[in-house]
Amino acid sequence: MEISCKDPVILNQWHPVSSLDVLTMDTVENTILLESKISFQLNSKEEVTAWLSLDDEKTLLPTRISYGFIWVSLGNPPKDLFLFPEFSESDRQNVATGVFGVNVSAGRTVENFLDMGHFPYVHSGILGEEPHTEVKEYDVEISEERDEVLATSCKFYQPQAAVNSNEGMDVDYIYRVPHINCALLYKTSPVDDARLDVIIIFVQPMGEEWVRAHTGMCLIDDESTAEQIRQFQQTIFGQDKPILENQYPKQLPLDSRIETPIRADKSAIAYRRWLSQKGLQYGVIPSAI
Amino acid sequence: MLNDLKKIWHPIASSAEVQKRHVFHAQLLGREYAVWRADDGNVNVWENRCLHRGVRLTIGINEGTELRCQYHGWRYANRTAGCTYIPAHPADAPARTICNNTYPVKEAMGMVWSGEEAFAEPVHFKNFEKYTVLRPIPINGNFNIIREMLSAKYRLLGHTTRDEVNGVLKVILKNGEVILFFVQPQDSNLSVLRGVVNQKYSDSERVLFLRAQNRILQSLRNDIEVLSKKRQIDPMIVQIAQVSSELSKMPQKKDIGRQAVLRVQVAEKKKTAKDIVSIKLVSLRDQLPTFQPGAHIDLHLQNGLIRQYSLVNGPGETNFYNIGVKLDALSTGGSEYLHKDIREGDVLACSVPRNNFPLRRDSLKTIFVAGGIGLTPLLSMAQSLDVMNLNYEFHYFVQNEDHIAFSSILKKLKKTPLVHQGLSPKLTKKKLNEILLYHNNSMNLYVCGPGPMLETTRQVAAELDWPDNSVHFEYFKNSNVIDDSSSFKIELARSALSLKVQSGQSVLEVLRANGLDLPSSCEQGACGTCKVSVVDGAIDHQDVYLNESEKLKGNVMMTCVSRALSKRLILDI
Amino acid sequence: MIELYDYELSGNCYKIRLMLSFLKLDYVSKKVEFHPGKEHKSEKFLEINPLGQLPVLSDTNLVLRDAQAILVYLARKYDKKNIWCPIDDPEKLGLIAQWLSFGDLITGSSSAARLHDTLFYTEFDIGECRERAHAQFRILDEHLFFQEQLNQSWICDGEKPTIADIACFPYIALSEEGGISRMSYPAIRRWMDRFKRIDGFIVMPGVFPAGPRSF
Repeated sequence: MEISCKDPVILNQWHPVSSLDVLTMDTVENTILLESKISFQLNSKEEVTAWLSLDDEKTLLPTRISYGFIWVSLGNPPKDLFLFPEFSESDRQNVATGVFGVNVSAGRTVENFLDMGHFPYVHSGILGEEPHTEVKEYDVEISEERDEVLATSCKFYQPQAAVNSNEGMDVDYIYRVPHINCALLYKTSPVDDARLDVIIIFVQPMGEEWVRAHTGMCLIDDESTAEQIRQFQQTIFGQDKPILENQYPKQLPLDSRIETPIRADKSAIAYRRWLSQKGLQYGVIPSAI
Repeated sequence: MLNDLKKIWHPIASSAEVQKRHVFHAQLLGREYAVWRADDGNVNVWENRCLHRGVRLTIGINEGTELRCQYHGWRYANRTAGCTYIPAHPADAPARTICNNTYPVKEAMGMVWSGEEAFAEPVHFKNFEKYTVLRPIPINGNFNIIREMLSAKYRLLGHTTRDEVNGVLKVILKNGEVILFFVQPQDSNLSVLRGVVNQKYSDSERVLFLRAQNRILQSLRNDIEVLSKKRQIDPMIVQIAQVSSELSKMPQKKDIGRQAVLRVQVAEKKKTAKDIVSIKLVSLRDQLPTFQPGAHIDLHLQNGLIRQYSLVNGPGETNFYNIGVKLDALSTGGSEYLHKDIREGDVLACSVPRNNFPLRRDSLKTIFVAGGIGLTPLLSMAQSLDVMNLNYEFHYFVQNEDHIAFSSILKKLKKTPLVHQGLSPKLTKKKLNEILLYHNNSMNLYVCGPGPMLETTRQVAAELDWPDNSVHFEYFKNSNVIDDSSSFKIELARSALSLKVQSGQSVLEVLRANGLDLPSSCEQGACGTCKVSVVDGAIDHQDVYLNESEKLKGNVMMTCVSRALSKRLILDI
Repeated sequence: MIELYDYELSGNCYKIRLMLSFLKLDYVSKKVEFHPGKEHKSEKFLEINPLGQLPVLSDTNLVLRDAQAILVYLARKYDKKNIWCPIDDPEKLGLIAQWLSFGDLITGSSSAARLHDTLFYTEFDIGECRERAHAQFRILDEHLFFQEQLNQSWICDGEKPTIADIACFPYIALSEEGGISRMSYPAIRRWMDRFKRIDGFIVMPGVFPAGPRSF
């Protein structure tokens, strides 16, 4: 069975294909990963199997269940997936907030997730509000030890940042990109300002310019219902989607001569550099060199 | 083939389609364009991609003078396509070289024309002084197929057809009227058929004519599309236009900008108040570079003097630079020369606009305090806040009514300026106390005016606990007497040079004498252009550009007037 | 009190939110989770609307389904100025009904394409949906072009927009989410700008705001 994608960097990754909560036991599900049709099935023992749909021999693909999602690889994936310890904290609510198809590359989707400057424009009244548009200086590193991009000390003005407040204030953010197509955002919890809520985006590349974006939240909040949390996150993602689909080129330019970064884009610059260092070719415009 | 097509002018829109406050979505030879008309009538043809993150500008907002990107609110000026504001960094003036890709544009025969490499004059079609533009018909088909079938269709209907240059089809209708047809190749399998007839009809006749032609063309389209479905051609390959290597990297905190001299002509000179003339300068050749509110230009006068003047222009007014010049009683030849000797039509040289007085647009409220001719940069700023519907208060201190300059612009401001006439220094201070009494940390104050008034304003603001970084000021000149008696050493950290500054020499002069070309403008410690970072050493600040806390920090200096208190300074150049 | 069974990302619900906003009416939004919860197919919701479709409006004793029907009801009941759905002119009323029905056809093509691309409704033939949407957009673009030639700004003749404009707007504005470009419909694009400048216009995720209302 031929797999059309030839880029080893992306083939050897674990890719999210579904959140567990939407699956029915022992039912075969179909999806697309890197242009290949794949099928998978969860059994009552919470074991998952996956295979290329058009493969008569049904050779099993590597699978795993982590962080509420099923992950599949079309190559030789690493033994471990990135760490996400908050997922297992007992007092948190883990909510898969929906999966959305977007006509854009995975890299553009992740990069938008790292971006704060668009809050007052794209998420006006929710995550930001004019004229509070400044992206203050923050720190970015590519951690070699953990092999991830980490942006810390990020701050952005948010109207109605806390549940019980009518006033806006600066909210603290930390961004992690521990996987080429997955990012986590840590944000001051409106309920407990000593702890951080986590918002996740795990992107499944169906093709170079077509993805499924799996979104979720991991909250310290026992008041909001799962429906409310999903509603909020769907609104946010629904606002990002038309921006993503209007980006040209759709693939993420690692070639620095295509776009103009500013200081606020430090994390995006680090992310692009990190992808370049890994030699990723799929869904990106490689740097010229 | 494709390269030849790039060199000719193609109609890409009807003029009527490029409506006020609309952004028209066009495509030519594979490349997408955002086409928008500014309120002054100018039509802009830009690549349909914000240079920042590639978002289509056709989803952006035409604000009449600037186009705003939906993603991060970047603003691009009419004509120049230069970025005038980056909201993520409100305290910085964007490098004026951040510029969207623009393409040639002409308007003729009721249509907007462009071409990626259309540098030659467009073909002129005779007898088209009167015209009516047909409804453009988008067709899923290749332009070559369309051309062939178009001619056949009209011949079949009994009209005469003739091929003109560049694939243009001329149809002579039975009644003698002539239609010219242009096929706009959007992509290999996508075109727009555009026609124009050499006749102007009454309203009712026009609709009938347009409907009749529309019917013919729609039936033609059906035939073409049936055929084209079977003959799909690979899409055109578009080279993504590159940004300059300078723009492709993350910028340093401040882009100083290079010096370049523009040739400008005095297009208008008129008195705007007692002892103040308004001068409008237009470019002799190229498009004038983008300016931001607060920017100034250096004017090189024919008598050899160089003087700085702030631009009064509102956003998107990019086809001229407007300055105000006050006749200085103690003029050493600058203002006197501009008042008495300069005439409309004269040619002068000037620098590109520099902005050392950038306007933050993230305040909940901005207070402007203008004194006399200090009005000019603040007027440009207020007009910019107006288009963004931001809140401000504009205070203008003048001697009396005769001294009110640029009253036509003042009248157009959305917030009526508060003019304070004939106040004594004591009453001015009292008034300033009232103006500045209430403040919070999302307010900013911009002051420009004569030295003593500026001093008073800064003093009042400080007494009322305005934070230093919320008080922004610009002096016209440094009236301090410069003490250049000291001598000291400077070491250049990045160039590994060690130089000596003797008494009577400025740091700037020594640097220049040693081959380091540092930008400068006023050369008297007022404008901020020659600012450099200081790594080590105690600075003897003699400028009026930096505020007290910046001076105390001691990490930047104005090389034109400031010196060393210590034996040496280490500069970050 | 008016209650709207509502889903934020639904263009059909957006039609009603627009009407309520244009008429400056207060209402309670009762959220129905279309995705991923499929609450519109739940037994509880099927009791309200056996078709399992959003939106549904309830107002005192009336429970009304179908976006177009709700537009007619709200306009007739609450539009004191008789602008959005005038009934004194039979010709105009007929035309409004014609375009309301056209709005529903657009839902059938453009909304289906969007559900396919965004929420993986793979049972739709995406190519066929897009083709149908393009054919409909062509008809509307031609209509709007000639409306402009007659100095008319809206789908139906008259100074002011009608519920026909509301019924057509959402799934045209969301068409790109189903891979349907609007580049070839310049008259539609201009009409959308005008629509976005109507006093009381609101956005939904996927629809961008226009510039200032007056200039």
